[in-house]
Amino acid sequence: MKYLSEYRDADIAKRLIGRIKTRATRCWTLMEVCGGQTHTIVRQGLDELLEGSVEMIHGPGCPVCVTPLEQIDKALLIAAKPNVIFTSFGDMLRVPGSDCDLQQVRARGGSVKVVYSPLDALALAQKHPDKEVVFFAVGFETTAPANAMAVFRARQLGVQNFSVLVSHVTVPPAITAILEAPDNRVQGFLAAGHVCAVMGYTEYEPIAAKYKVPIIVTGFEPVDILEGISLAVNQLEERRHEVENQYVRSVRRSGTEPARALVQQVFELANRQWRGIGEIPMSGLRLRDEFAAYDAERKFGVGGLKVTEPAACRAGDVLTGRIKPPQCAAFGTLCTPERPLGAPMVSTEGACSAYYNLAKYRTADPAGAAP
Amino acid sequence: MCLGIPGKIQSIRDDAGLVMGVIDFGGVQRDVCLQYVADEVQVGDYVIVHVGFAITRVDEDEARRTFEVLKEMSQLDELEWMAEAAEQGMRGLEKPA
Ligand code: SF4
Repeated sequence: MKYLSEYRDADIAKRLIGRIKTRATRCWTLMEVCGGQTHTIVRQGLDELLEGSVEMIHGPGCPVCVTPLEQIDKALLIAAKPNVIFTSFGDMLRVPGSDCDLQQVRARGGSVKVVYSPLDALALAQKHPDKEVVFFAVGFETTAPANAMAVFRARQLGVQNFSVLVSHVTVPPAITAILEAPDNRVQGFLAAGHVCAVMGYTEYEPIAAKYKVPIIVTGFEPVDILEGISLAVNQLEERRHEVENQYVRSVRRSGTEPARALVQQVFELANRQWRGIGEIPMSGLRLRDEFAAYDAERKFGVGGLKVTEPAACRAGDVLTGRIKPPQCAAFGTLCTPERPLGAPMVSTEGACSAYYNLAKYRTADPAGAAP
Repeated sequence: MCLGIPGKIQSIRDDAGLVMGVIDFGGVQRDVCLQYVADEVQVGDYVIVHVGFAITRVDEDEARRTFEVLKEMSQLDELEWMAEAAEQGMRGLEKPA
């Protein structure tokens, strides 16, 4: 583990912390919506260093964590079918479904393969024309251009034994849902720099104006985050509420336009379930009708599946900032990265795993770990 | 999968209408789709790559720093997926240089 004192930009960081503390006339509540940022904040103890001036709430910024149980169960059903090669990014394999995970399906003889790029999955389909190759298309706006291209290419190349199980989510509707919640405490947001590198940040401008919240496009390194926080605190103290770009070295206002264009050509907005949070209107992407032939839900008839999420996992409260992970009764006892009960403990981007990786939060008696 | 990994463009080619290239990620080389940044990059440039797709161009210093920080944060899982994909005989990954 590294603390801020060991960080090479420690001096700049200390100066920024000093500036934030002097500027804040009260304790402001901010939310970061990026798993990488959550990881940095918890690992470097930024939240503790800013205590009294800024409270950081860790938002639903990890795509693995927000993928609903329903979609995992659909993946498990499809992956268990004979003649299917199910492909996925590596971090989805251990996300628990209702009764097992993809790794267990593989252990029982299902063909489950990890790919790095969705184009790997498409290549696999070309290599095995006698098999159905299905790709688990999850993620935020950062993976949508890749997944859109895989589908677009499949059609272009006439590959028919390829389909995608889409579980795409987008950030701006989640921010809106958090702001609309009656018990919302968030006064400003750090938007995810890498998401904005793709999509730009024009979508955030009406949100900042309507809800009167500063939204700062921010990178994920400690100094980036402290700069983002500092900009947000300045705005709050001056009663301004604008979209500001801290991450100018990677983010342009309009994003990467060719990527946005293909995402729009292949996908359309749709209601989506978020794990532990429930359905957020128009918060995700689904394939447009002209690409329906590549929709794994239709191909395998699993579209209607509905499941209820287990009560023990408080992922929804964690992801909306109502509790911090150690306040979940299962944290570190029934739920560990080795035996995760919920998705936020699985992924390295997840808030529960970020806290678990800090020894001081791991106080639970290990003897109590096995049920 | 949300934090892209920076890498250096080694070569660029046309793959049946799709702009592809080989990218070096700190010694690991892999095929990456360059279609989305094709108009703004050339061999030797650095790009941020998300799940096999270059999304933005960055300068060399930024690329180096970001790679180091990702390593410190143990956020380079994706390099492991690349290796796992390669073991399964998928195209795209060449032996480390
Ligand atoms: S600690 Fe485990 S059970 Fe509790 S909210 Fe996090 S993932 Fe769910």
